[in-house]
Amino acid sequence: MNHSHSLWRAEASLLLRSNRNVLALILLLVLSAASVWSGIVQVQDQRATIERVEREQVRDLAAVEEANAGPEGEAGYNAYYAFMLTQDPPPPLAFAAIGQRDLQPYVLRVRALGLQSQLYDSETYNPELALPGVFDWAFVLIYLLPLVVIALGHDLVTAEREGGRLRLLLSLPGNGLWRRRVGLRYTAVLLAIGLPLIIGAMIMAAPAVSIATMILIAALYSAFWFGLAMLIGGATRASTTAAATMIGCWIILTLILPTLAQAVIARAVPVAKGVDLTLAQREVVHHGWDVPKEETFARFFVNHPEWRGQEEFEGRFHWKWYYAMHQVGDEAVAADVSAYRDSLKKRETMTKLLGYVLPGVGTMNVLHRMADTDIQGQLAYQDSIAAFHTKLRQFYYPYFFEEQAFDHSDFAMIPRYEPRSSGGTPPTEALAALAFLSLLVLALGSRRLLNAGREQGGR
Amino acid sequence: MTNIFTAPAIAIDGLHHSYGANPVLRGLDLTVQRGEIYALLGGNGAGKSTTLSALLGFLRPCSGSVRVCGTDPVADARAARSQMAYVPENVSLYEHLTARENIGYFLALAKAERGGDAIEAALSAVGLTQAAKDKRLSGFSKGMRQKVAIALALARDVPVLLLDEPTSGLDPRAVLEFNRLLDAAREREVAVLMVTHDLVSAVDIADRIGFLSEGKIEEEQTASTAGPRFDLNALHDRYTLVAGAPA
Ligand SMILES: Nc1ncnc2c1ncn2[C@@H]1O[C@H](COP(=O)(O)OP(=O)(O)O)[C@@H](O)[C@H]1O
Ligand SMILES: [Mg+2]
Repeated sequence: MNHSHSLWRAEASLLLRSNRNVLALILLLVLSAASVWSGIVQVQDQRATIERVEREQVRDLAAVEEANAGPEGEAGYNAYYAFMLTQDPPPPLAFAAIGQRDLQPYVLRVRALGLQSQLYDSETYNPELALPGVFDWAFVLIYLLPLVVIALGHDLVTAEREGGRLRLLLSLPGNGLWRRRVGLRYTAVLLAIGLPLIIGAMIMAAPAVSIATMILIAALYSAFWFGLAMLIGGATRASTTAAATMIGCWIILTLILPTLAQAVIARAVPVAKGVDLTLAQREVVHHGWDVPKEETFARFFVNHPEWRGQEEFEGRFHWKWYYAMHQVGDEAVAADVSAYRDSLKKRETMTKLLGYVLPGVGTMNVLHRMADTDIQGQLAYQDSIAAFHTKLRQFYYPYFFEEQAFDHSDFAMIPRYEPRSSGGTPPTEALAALAFLSLLVLALGSRRLLNAGREQGGR
Repeated sequence: MTNIFTAPAIAIDGLHHSYGANPVLRGLDLTVQRGEIYALLGGNGAGKSTTLSALLGFLRPCSGSVRVCGTDPVADARAARSQMAYVPENVSLYEHLTARENIGYFLALAKAERGGDAIEAALSAVGLTQAAKDKRLSGFSKGMRQKVAIALALARDVPVLLLDEPTSGLDPRAVLEFNRLLDAAREREVAVLMVTHDLVSAVDIADRIGFLSEGKIEEEQTASTAGPRFDLNALHDRYTLVAGAPA
């Protein structure tokens, strides 16, 4: 016990005497800390934005109420001018894996007009597999940690052979040398990537279990790269060859294959742009002005039969017709909307499958699902907006169809949006696939390393 | 079961070994007793280092038997290796550690922790100056590195020493000092198997000299107790014949 303790200490001081290793570890620590810090800043920015918009919202609503609500107030004007705030506050783990939140709206103000013309206002769908985008902890883990593992682990055996020490090391009666060396480097890498995350989690009051799971994911992903380093380091004669091969693997596994796969998926599953849905919906609405009103109502009543028989009005314009027309516009593009969502989901499914074989993609999928910052999270926010929009319309319809006045007490009753409860759980299948892949490569690498050390006495 | 105290320190019997289709050892017999210094000579590629590899359990012999203090180094590598200290050809230790730190580290690896005094004594014994003991190896000459490796082997304090060209890189005075170290080892009943090119030094220190050629010991001479230890002329002829190299 005491002896093995001193062996670990000796090994640690040997590791820390090497400038290259120390530099690589410090770099990882600094990058990890910087990414956590930048993630926290982004999350706090988003929170501040939400708070600011919430304050503006109070002011804006007061102005709308002032101008439109009252004993003579018309629901139509109130519904037209009262934009209602929806917001998607950053989930607890978003600071570590920002994902889609970088690009997707997290505040959106909607009114009772057609939803599809409002939903994609600031949209640019980021394909889940986008190459290095945001600088967050997940990015440092997935793209940069492997380079540090390569620096620390590619020449475990070759450097000893080149340094003229391998045969001497192998001639000693002790055992567990490689296990200690790999174990030590592995621990050091995990500390460098993990400590900033833990501190960030404490600042952000993120749930401890989730952070532990993220560390576990980092441990699995690092195990994959250490396994690969041992596999390649054990199969090559020269350190430079090993390093070059490892860098090649890094480029292929984290850059080329994901990019190619992304292109293939994009081609296999075309996705319309949300803005196309907006345009289609507006087209229908514009056209609606020229369509006979009976026709618009007939289409509206298909899904809102409760208002049948109350469509008559005098004059050329009436709010009930106007809002029915908008709703009909939404319904006209419903098939396109569901096709659009289906293909997004299909892409995500394919990305998920890809993650089963590419550990970087798998790790990203798991982290973003846990943080609830992936497309699924984005769609969930849209769903909650849609549900709210329905509630909003249902609230106004009696006022339109029964021609009730819209007084201040009515204004106070306009439904408010309740943020969805965000935060995901780790997808077990993907986590299991990552664990399987990583532990397999680790086992193969360990075997290879031991054999490489033993083969022909290290010549 | 051979007794560890009565068995010869090194016993190689009818050893055959090939690297693929290249037969290197072909029925090698070699015995070294405790308190004996055996110098193994032979041309380049004769199989001298391969012989040491077999003793260290690095190779699985095609046939024949290898024992170190009665232990089979393939079957029980750890037990055999705890009896042997090995100085490989062109050895080097960690560049960024001092001589003293290197010895401490390797001793820890060998599970042979010795006090600072033992390390100090070993480093002094090989002739390292006080200042050099705490210098990093990166500034050392080949000879000084060799000395540190030898100091490590001495500090292990084991019954068998395997030395592969230990004097290459040492200046003549250092070779003399080294020979005195071997003398002292012999006094402590250590068995030394030393691969060397240096016939003069071998004649000076060895108890037996063997020529390895065609995968076996072609000729072996034992030091005589009276008069000159070896017939240097005969050895020289033999050496130039076998090694094809000037002594
Ligand atoms: N690991 C190895 N694989 C293949 N051939 C080897 C290996 N080690 C040594 N040899 C070959 O075996 C022969 C003997 O090598 P070695 O024992 O190193 O010779 P020596 O030490 O006497 O110069 C040489 O021809 C050498 O090329
Ligand atoms: Mg040799």
